[in-house]
Amino acid sequence: MFAATGNTGTTKTTSCKVVLPFYGYAAVAFLVANILLLLSATGLIKHYFHPHTLAITHIMALGWGTMMILGASHQLVPVLIEGKLYSNKLAYTSFILAAAGIPLLAYGFYVFDMGWPAKWGGRLLIVAIIAYLINLAVSMVKSRNENVHAVFIFTAVAWLLATATVGLMLVYNFTYLLLPGNSLDYLPLHAHIGIVGWFLLLIIGVGSRLIPMFLISKYNNTQQLWWIYGLINGGLLAFIFIFLYTDTGWLLLFPLLAVAAAILLFVNFCYLSYRQRIRKKVDEQMEVSLLSVLMMLLPVIFLIIIIALLIMSPKENSSLLITYGFIIFFGWITAIILGMTFKTLPFIVWNKVYHHLAGKGKTPNPKDLFSNTVFKWMSVFYIAGFVLFILGLLLHYAIVLQLAAALLVLTALLYNWNVIKLLLHKPASL
Amino acid sequence: MNIITNSNIQCTIALAALQNVMDPEIGLNIVDLGLIYQLDFDEAGKKIFCTITLTTQFCPMGESITNAVKETLKVTFPEYETGMKLTFDPPWNHEMISAEGREFLNER
Repeated sequence: MFAATGNTGTTKTTSCKVVLPFYGYAAVAFLVANILLLLSATGLIKHYFHPHTLAITHIMALGWGTMMILGASHQLVPVLIEGKLYSNKLAYTSFILAAAGIPLLAYGFYVFDMGWPAKWGGRLLIVAIIAYLINLAVSMVKSRNENVHAVFIFTAVAWLLATATVGLMLVYNFTYLLLPGNSLDYLPLHAHIGIVGWFLLLIIGVGSRLIPMFLISKYNNTQQLWWIYGLINGGLLAFIFIFLYTDTGWLLLFPLLAVAAAILLFVNFCYLSYRQRIRKKVDEQMEVSLLSVLMMLLPVIFLIIIIALLIMSPKENSSLLITYGFIIFFGWITAIILGMTFKTLPFIVWNKVYHHLAGKGKTPNPKDLFSNTVFKWMSVFYIAGFVLFILGLLLHYAIVLQLAAALLVLTALLYNWNVIKLLLHKPASL
Repeated sequence: MNIITNSNIQCTIALAALQNVMDPEIGLNIVDLGLIYQLDFDEAGKKIFCTITLTTQFCPMGESITNAVKETLKVTFPEYETGMKLTFDPPWNHEMISAEGREFLNER
């Protein structure tokens, strides 16, 4: 009865050494993307297929969004699959390859050289994703504890691999004619596999676990999550088929409606989680994360308008398309990362610095490891910059675009300030 | 909050001490959160056996919480050897939060 061993059977989590480089890299990429946005802001009024726009989009999508999500998911996968991460070495491999590949790819786009920098950037990225996919697959098989969240993540990473593969094909298509059309024609396909298959699926898969967890909510509805999963994947597969094999623009409304229904179901899922929360006070980080859930609806509204205009007249509305992309990368994806960084990183750092001191004396609260005042100012600059930038894009005001981009640079600086404060945190003398 | 024990007096002392161990994310102590399942005392062999859970398996703060529980029991009962078991059977759920814990979370 009294097996007084020291073994607690503690479920070991992923080493912070694996996770922290992803966070640091993403923070720097966010700053770089915003500085480039400030330098290129007025050019965005012209056309979305501009080398600088492509570079900024890929830094935001890969350097910021993907690196942050990969970092956080190495930490969260054990929670989601209820099993250990298979290999730290594979996680390091993913980081090193992606960290080397992303700047090469971004440089290739920025100077519009589709030669070795863009090609090697794409190749390295694909190998990084394969390493992560293997790590995830083996972790899931070993845990034997599949659940809806784990299936969301695995499918999302498979779509990420598809996105990167199509992307590399488009890069090659500039120099060797791999595809029947030119690369620009396939851009919507590449972009939407990434946005819907990777970002949307992953954020919903992880968010549906974390949001109720952080709210301490009683709400759970696995069946609804399976419906969301089916609608997103069904919608995306239908979109690919319609895009490749038909010329009928209005058919695109079907996949759009499927994905819109999935987003509405997820908004409802978050709302019910919020309503049934046990912890009444919602902190600022959760408020920003919940705001990002609502922001998911904005791109859907824009896309409905874009498709409606395309049906009426085949001429593309460039400023609407750029605004659509901006809302996705600088709006929805950025908002959830800004909020969730400070719900996850302080605990990772706290665990690294203080776990051996637990119970031996008073330790600071994880929330005290970063400045909440800086966080609040960052949120204010972010919302102001985001709204102003959209106005500048839609109304073609160059000065408004530059002012908004400057506010977004300030957002990135404050974000980096807090991330650096966390990463360099040293234990106070107890 | 139904904690299984073979010694009510010792268990009360232990729980009072364990109320200082906090879940850093929630800000509530682990006793009111309902993470302690069992506390048994072997008076003759001077051993304590504690069974606890976490709000989620592979909780990133799990190691810190289990370390803090062990350390607290060691300080409170210095003459006892502490054994600990982490279990997820039954898994933690919101019904395990005490009335005091719910009141605390309602106010925060």
